Amino acid sequence: MDDILEVIKTRKSIRRYKSDPIPDDILDKILEAARWAPTGENYQPWRLIVIKNPETKKKIGDLAKLGSGSRMTAWYCLGEMQRRFEEIQDPVKRAEVLRFMYSGEVSEFAKQAPVIIAVIGTLMEGSVDVPYDLSACIENILLEAHSLGLGACWVHGPVASTRDAAKFKKILKIPTGMGEYKVIAYVALGWPAEARKHPRPKKPLEEMVYWEEFGRKERA
Amino acid sequence: MDNVEHFNNMLVRLEELLYHELSGCAAWKVELVGVDFIQSKKIEGNTEKEVIDHCIKEITAGGLVKSMTYSIGGKGVLLSLKMKDCVHLPKEIRLKKDGIHPYICPIANMILDQLIEKLNYETTYLAKLDFNEKTGECKVKCAIYQTPDKIGLVSDWSKEE
Repeated sequence: MDDILEVIKTRKSIRRYKSDPIPDDILDKILEAARWAPTGENYQPWRLIVIKNPETKKKIGDLAKLGSGSRMTAWYCLGEMQRRFEEIQDPVKRAEVLRFMYSGEVSEFAKQAPVIIAVIGTLMEGSVDVPYDLSACIENILLEAHSLGLGACWVHGPVASTRDAAKFKKILKIPTGMGEYKVIAYVALGWPAEARKHPRPKKPLEEMVYWEEFGRKERA
Repeated sequence: MDNVEHFNNMLVRLEELLYHELSGCAAWKVELVGVDFIQSKKIEGNTEKEVIDHCIKEITAGGLVKSMTYSIGGKGVLLSLKMKDCVHLPKEIRLKKDGIHPYICPIANMILDQLIEKLNYETTYLAKLDFNEKTGECKVKCAIYQTPDKIGLVSDWSKEE
């Protein structure tokens, strides 16, 4: 059995892609990885919609921009975004990053991705863990894509609000009833056109691991 | 326990539960909570003022709040609502005591819904919900986007009351 820790540790969210297509055999491996995600009582509620059509991707990119931008504009106006990015020392760079965020452009990249995979789950077959199963499915997609040299990004924001999720469903002709399908996110995929130079720092284990009971930091 | 208290208690339980399941993004899921009341009222109007005034008339006539005022600022993006003695205020008070900042305002949802339904607003977002237990006043800040190009029109909302 291979240790996949290095695959896990080197994966990053990639939002810029080359226009080169993803060959079908590579795409199939990613879809196969999704199929093998853990799932409560083996319900396998996931349904995956693979999107390559540029018009559809544009609609999704526009919706993503709208969803993120509508929230981030408000957060900026309330001063919350400025606090989140105060570690950026250069005021010009900080202003540009903030504008990129509150304009919604940060979430527009679906338009450039060669492939988008919408991850949805059926709510009609009795599964009791749909959001958790779908999240595990997405993680499998991300790790397999990274191990094959692709870049990917898990995008939840554009389907986060109830109305936006309904718009997303309409774009992809997913039944819109609240008891039918849950749209949890989509994954944008492509050959990376960026190398993330500064992986965001991760909390040390000492800060997040307790032993035997909540709050106990001494290793048992 | 009267009906209003009973309904507020149920809302508290559901709001707590949803926050526990979804954390901060629970607030993004609840924009339709409360809209059935206003959708039953056949709100009319061709402008923000007409639609919001009509909503307020129905909301106060329905006994949901005692009084209500509003203003629009922040380059047309900020809708500020002030309400007095909202029927849901006990919900906000109990949630705060339980350690969760309230994030569902059915009254604001009603007005935002009608801006979308009657004036085809592109999208809206309930950004901030404050309340004062002693005065019985709620202040709600909402972002309203008439068209997609309104996204990104920023200003300092702390300077607007």
